[in-house]
Amino acid sequence: MSNLKYRLAIIVGLVLVSAWALFPRDVKTRQRHADGTFYDTVTRRVPLRKGLDLSGGMHLALDVDESKGVVANKSEAIDRALKVVRTRIEGMGVSETIVQKAGNDRILVDIPGIDDRERAIKIAQDQAFLAFQITDKTNAMEKLLPRLDGIARAKGYGVASTAAAPGAKAPSAGLNGLLTSDSAKGAKPDSAKADTAAAQATGEISKLILASPYQMPGEFVYDSKYDDLLKRFFADSSVIAVLPPGKVVRFGSDSTVVQGATYRFLYVLDERPIMTGEHLKDAKPSSSPLDGTVVQFTLDNEGGRRFQRETAKHLKDYMAIVLDNVVMGRPPVIQGTIGTSGQITMGQGRDLQAAQDLSLVLKAGALPVPLKVAEVRNIGPSLGHDSINHALTAGVIAVVLVVLVMLVYYRFSGFLAVLGLLLYVLYTLATLAGFDAVLTVPGLAGFVLSIGIAVDANVLIFERIREELDRGKTVRTSIEEGFHHAKSAIIDSNVTTVLTAMVLYQFGTGPVKGFAVTLIAGIIASMVTAIFVVRTFFLLWLNRSRGAQTLSI
Amino acid sequence: MLRILHGTKIDFIRPWRIAVGITVAFIALGFVMLGVHEARHGSALAQSIEFTGGTLMQLEFQQPPDVGQIRATVDAAGFPGSEIQQFGTDREFTVRAAGQSNEAGQGVENTAKRIQTALEQKFGTNDMKVVRTEIIGPRVGKELTRNAALAILISLGVTLLYLAFRFEWRFGVAAVIATGHDLLSTLAFLAIMRIEVSLTVVAALLTVIGYSLNDTIIIFDRVREDLKKNRTDSLYTVLNKAINETLPRSVLTHVTVAMATLSLLLFAGEVIRPFSWIMLFGIVTGTFSSIYIAGPVLLWIEHRWPRPHGERRPVMQNAAAAPARPAGRATAGVR
Repeated sequence: MSNLKYRLAIIVGLVLVSAWALFPRDVKTRQRHADGTFYDTVTRRVPLRKGLDLSGGMHLALDVDESKGVVANKSEAIDRALKVVRTRIEGMGVSETIVQKAGNDRILVDIPGIDDRERAIKIAQDQAFLAFQITDKTNAMEKLLPRLDGIARAKGYGVASTAAAPGAKAPSAGLNGLLTSDSAKGAKPDSAKADTAAAQATGEISKLILASPYQMPGEFVYDSKYDDLLKRFFADSSVIAVLPPGKVVRFGSDSTVVQGATYRFLYVLDERPIMTGEHLKDAKPSSSPLDGTVVQFTLDNEGGRRFQRETAKHLKDYMAIVLDNVVMGRPPVIQGTIGTSGQITMGQGRDLQAAQDLSLVLKAGALPVPLKVAEVRNIGPSLGHDSINHALTAGVIAVVLVVLVMLVYYRFSGFLAVLGLLLYVLYTLATLAGFDAVLTVPGLAGFVLSIGIAVDANVLIFERIREELDRGKTVRTSIEEGFHHAKSAIIDSNVTTVLTAMVLYQFGTGPVKGFAVTLIAGIIASMVTAIFVVRTFFLLWLNRSRGAQTLSI
Repeated sequence: MLRILHGTKIDFIRPWRIAVGITVAFIALGFVMLGVHEARHGSALAQSIEFTGGTLMQLEFQQPPDVGQIRATVDAAGFPGSEIQQFGTDREFTVRAAGQSNEAGQGVENTAKRIQTALEQKFGTNDMKVVRTEIIGPRVGKELTRNAALAILISLGVTLLYLAFRFEWRFGVAAVIATGHDLLSTLAFLAIMRIEVSLTVVAALLTVIGYSLNDTIIIFDRVREDLKKNRTDSLYTVLNKAINETLPRSVLTHVTVAMATLSLLLFAGEVIRPFSWIMLFGIVTGTFSSIYIAGPVLLWIEHRWPRPHGERRPVMQNAAAAPARPAGRATAGVR
């Protein structure tokens, strides 16, 4: 029976291939250093990776943010942004991260195991546009204040909350008044307050903006409780319109506490940066006793030359280090020319983690387009663990029930079908591993369901064999006919399901894709086991019990 | 040999009017419920945030909390009208804040942050954990809604094409109409149970489509075979015979699938529960439609557009034996 030998060889071969596909193994992959050179790393490839809903972790979808201007070629911009985001995410040191483009204008990011949602979003989304800008020396703000008050009145930017909040000190001292009095000798906010303590806020912006106690040109302070108000105010298009050409207003990351009140910084800067982050070569976190946590950076040669030239022109000026339109730390004074290296002060309350993340995004480069978060899914690891346990319980119970039904109803033939079912489970898992599929909660449900459906093909065949036996045919002929006649029904009915699953795969996302893949793998495996494997078992049995008159079915 | 329902000769097609009456009533009830929900909740079908956009957080408490407190905390955080629901055990709850209109910058993310901070302050990080957060921007929701609708339509179209190719067009149309019925009745089921439509539910819906078609095809395959073998019987007789012949298979397969589905429903956890309900209903409606929708529709098509002369055969054995003529509109012509 050479035919039978081939059949057995194929089955054993399939089992071996499946087992091989399911064993974790070490895979050598080429990776790229940040400086562009390649190196080989050995990673352990575990088949059937758990999806984020099982392992816990975070899924992010990022869209192009067009709120600040239309982006002409989104697809191309996304391609460039993709590289940046990928470098950043891979730099986080989490294994098995996925960064991919979806459609024309979306980036999908999967980070398994991470629970700090905000940190991950910040790393992925921060534009990281770094610029060095000189603070304003032309007293632009002072000249502008009366007009700003006018706009504030016209547009109703008020500080009504001051009067309403009981016990709130009136912190606002008019900058105008401050300037007319003697403020040349470093008017501290507290002394300024003492001078004009009686001046209640009347909804005038000028009363909120105080001269800097540090005598830095272009630097101002304000009480942190007006943070929202001022940020809204300076984002107003009519305010931006009255700013002198070539000047911009930026807020600082730092704050200072005077007499229990927190003050934040506000800067007027030259719009043209003397340097941008595109020449940045390296960045690393560090801490210094003087400045706290800092990020040290190195520029490339061209950037170094340009930086040297520009800083030479601006000796004794203050240089603001602006990251995504926020002034980092307080602008240092340019003491002498600066070459290829410098540092960014993180500001108070920022730990080493923040400096690490900033180094990461700076090194990866700025995003070519601003991105906004379109979707976040964050699943805690405990929930994923529960899901696996639940699915396992349901799976085991389903298998036991199905096996019982098959054994009770079909006896010996049922036993053969159960053997087939074992191989079915193996083949399905191996096919999934082969597709490099990701296991998800719906995927597991689909797998459990497919165990119930998988025996359908066997049932069809067995019922057919029974009918043929009823017609008085011999056991061997009945088996032959049974398999032969049931085949068309099995194939037709399964092909339609596969087609539906393929559509689902095309249109589904994440977990649902996992479901579709499981369904497809399950159906293919069930056809192979029912039509080929179980048939071989029958042939084997026929061979051993030559001339059997009865079949237990 | 253990046998169930073997050698039956039940006239399945005969009470088709009653069957169709029941299913029409069920679907009508479903659509009434859709109207009721529309009036009461403002949405005909409960949709998950995947479709509506918004923020969903799943909370896990050490001790069963007071739902009123959760609601008050979320309200105070600035999100009145959020839905708070128990999710599985009495220690797990979901908070669902309405979709946000502004998508600018980190607007989408802020809602979750504010609710989480407020809840953690109220209940403490030891006694309460946020185990899942889903934040969906409005644009993503719209895309998903469109994709889900497309997926259902395309899969119907693709199956129709395949069936037309493998069978004869009459069979294909009958099978697709039966499937359309399953879609409607499952929709009615969704409305009556007010199951939240999520992507997983759409996946379940498509699985039901596949499963029901599977069942229809098994019967049609037998019809196709019997038609070839036996050239004198009417289609009515052949159809009934095919259903009877495949009855043991149907029962057994449905039992095993129902067992798998029941174990999912009972043991696989809250996330998969809507999926399991729909599958369970799908088994029932799929079986029903394969017999009572696909069959009569096939007879009706056969009656309206008979085969060419060479292969003509009577649709009915004789008019008296088949009072349940499945072609209401064509009555005059037959008489």
